[in-house]
Amino acid sequence: MDDYFGSYLVVVVLLLLGCGIVGGGLAANRLLRPHRLTEEKLTTYECGVDPVGEGWAQSYVRYYVFAYLYVVFAVDAVFLFPWATVFAAPGFGTTTLVEMFVFLGFLFTGLVYAGRKGVLSWV
Amino acid sequence: MIQSIDYAAIAPPLIVAVAAIALLLADAFGASRRVLGLVSLGAVGAALVTVIALALGDRRATFCLTGDLRGNGPPSCSYVTDDFTLIFQGVVLAAALVVVLLSLEEITAAGARLPAGEFHFLLLAAIAGALTLVAARDLVLLVVALETLSLPVFALVALRRYDGVASEAALKLFLVSVISTAVMLFGISLLYGVTGAMHLDRVAPALGRVPGDLEPVAAVGVVMVLAGFAFKVAAVPFHFWAPDVYQGAPLPVTAFLSVVSKAAGFAGLTIVVALGLPAYGHVWGPVLGVLAAVTMTLGNLVALRQRSAIRLLAWSSIAQSGYMLAPLAVGDERLPEAVAATVAYVAIYSVMNIGAFAVVIGFRRRAGAPAAGPAPSWDTLDDYRGLARRNPATAAAMAFFLICLAGLPPGVMGLFAKIVVFRATVAGGATWLAVVMAVNTVIALYYYLAWAARLFAAPSGAAEPPRMPRGAAVRAAIGAAAAGAVVLSVAPQLVLQAAAAIT
Repeated sequence: MDDYFGSYLVVVVLLLLGCGIVGGGLAANRLLRPHRLTEEKLTTYECGVDPVGEGWAQSYVRYYVFAYLYVVFAVDAVFLFPWATVFAAPGFGTTTLVEMFVFLGFLFTGLVYAGRKGVLSWV
Repeated sequence: MIQSIDYAAIAPPLIVAVAAIALLLADAFGASRRVLGLVSLGAVGAALVTVIALALGDRRATFCLTGDLRGNGPPSCSYVTDDFTLIFQGVVLAAALVVVLLSLEEITAAGARLPAGEFHFLLLAAIAGALTLVAARDLVLLVVALETLSLPVFALVALRRYDGVASEAALKLFLVSVISTAVMLFGISLLYGVTGAMHLDRVAPALGRVPGDLEPVAAVGVVMVLAGFAFKVAAVPFHFWAPDVYQGAPLPVTAFLSVVSKAAGFAGLTIVVALGLPAYGHVWGPVLGVLAAVTMTLGNLVALRQRSAIRLLAWSSIAQSGYMLAPLAVGDERLPEAVAATVAYVAIYSVMNIGAFAVVIGFRRRAGAPAAGPAPSWDTLDDYRGLARRNPATAAAMAFFLICLAGLPPGVMGLFAKIVVFRATVAGGATWLAVVMAVNTVIALYYYLAWAARLFAAPSGAAEPPRMPRGAAVRAAIGAAAAGAVVLSVAPQLVLQAAAAIT
């Protein structure tokens, strides 16, 4: 058991080293740098452009439906890849081919439903 | 390599699932609410007919392991329609039929604010999950079916989007469900790690010969698997979603949760412990015993203090879960008898509880109370005063359901269900649990009888005594449940013998 946990000692040492480098760098920076604040230095850094408006903004997540639909088809692809590697192998054949199209049919049903309910048209 | 599929065996869930998709498309292409409701009713009815046809024919099994995967082991079928499955599919579909009837006016009626197509789609999807769950004989199919049953229910509970109570209820249900599913999946992964099998007929012998240093792992796995089902049947400590969800959900969904979902949960629990884990009866037996004792005691004590009809039914159904769990506390000692007792109690409970919910739903719809209003306006027990004067038949039915739930004559079926559970518990050597049950039965008498007495009391002055609605569907639902209750009270052996025959 000692050996088992002992092998993690390297990880702990590495972790401490990493924290030391980052923390040490920031601390050294703080000690060495001059400290003269101006109004402009204190504004929020926004890629060099002057910040506009409040920090709290609301946006309309119109694209969440598309995100859902993307997830549906991404999951579908997860099933398609292993299927594609075996369906031509001996012992599978037509049944396997039809099964996948039944599955795709279910997904297509969802897409038809979403389309009919009007979520696919961009307002 | 390819599993052959016996379409006759999987017909009940298949019919319901295909109807669900057809309804979703029909709704998208603008079918009327009335048509949607009737198609939904027809699909559940057709599935019930196929279950009866299957019960008359041979016993079937499908999705079995093929050729070299099977080797010299047991047949290892994932989906089995034996007597146990058929009884539970019958119970689930009969209760689902009543739920759809109840929803015809509550949700499908013109002018209701709930989306009818989505409601029926989600309801049928959940029913398909329940039908698969009771037939599943391997851990993967059990989990998938349990989730197919759970996921649509979150959306069903949240369907009243304009109501904060419903959203809160759905979120609670979701969080508790996710946690219990995670715990259960962890347990299944431990069991798989120990036994190397997923089919219950392979897990059971493998658990009998677990090497000594892996025994604690297997025991932890067993207890964790129980957690998922404890959530589904609302056993303490996974019970606290029940009262809020029952109150926040549309009432037909509440009836579904309290009967269909619970019956399926008990079926799953029984399948896992009786078929998969008999070797660890010394672990899950005492755990279920303690769960049963705590569940029934807490449920009954809190129910005593309820003034709202829905919350009272919620806590009472938690307490009833305790009775249903009790026989399983015997562990692997006289297990067949215990399973039969649990099955009989679940079947009888379904009839009486769906009846009580049918009356409450009909009552809520009276006097212009909005079917999907923001707050239950006629929900306190005192509102039921004087119901017998305006609607003697409904009040008599309600009183009968309550007496059955309490387990008093003339509610013979409730009485027999309790006797069967007592006998199995004592026979299995869990006498202490039988004593706890006896005390709890007496506590429960108080609130059931207090409610029943209010039905016949004089109306409380100011409020006009409510009249039941004219709706034919709700009346048919109450009538069907009452007929079932009367038949089973005259001839309780119908259920008891069927349950005894499965083992």
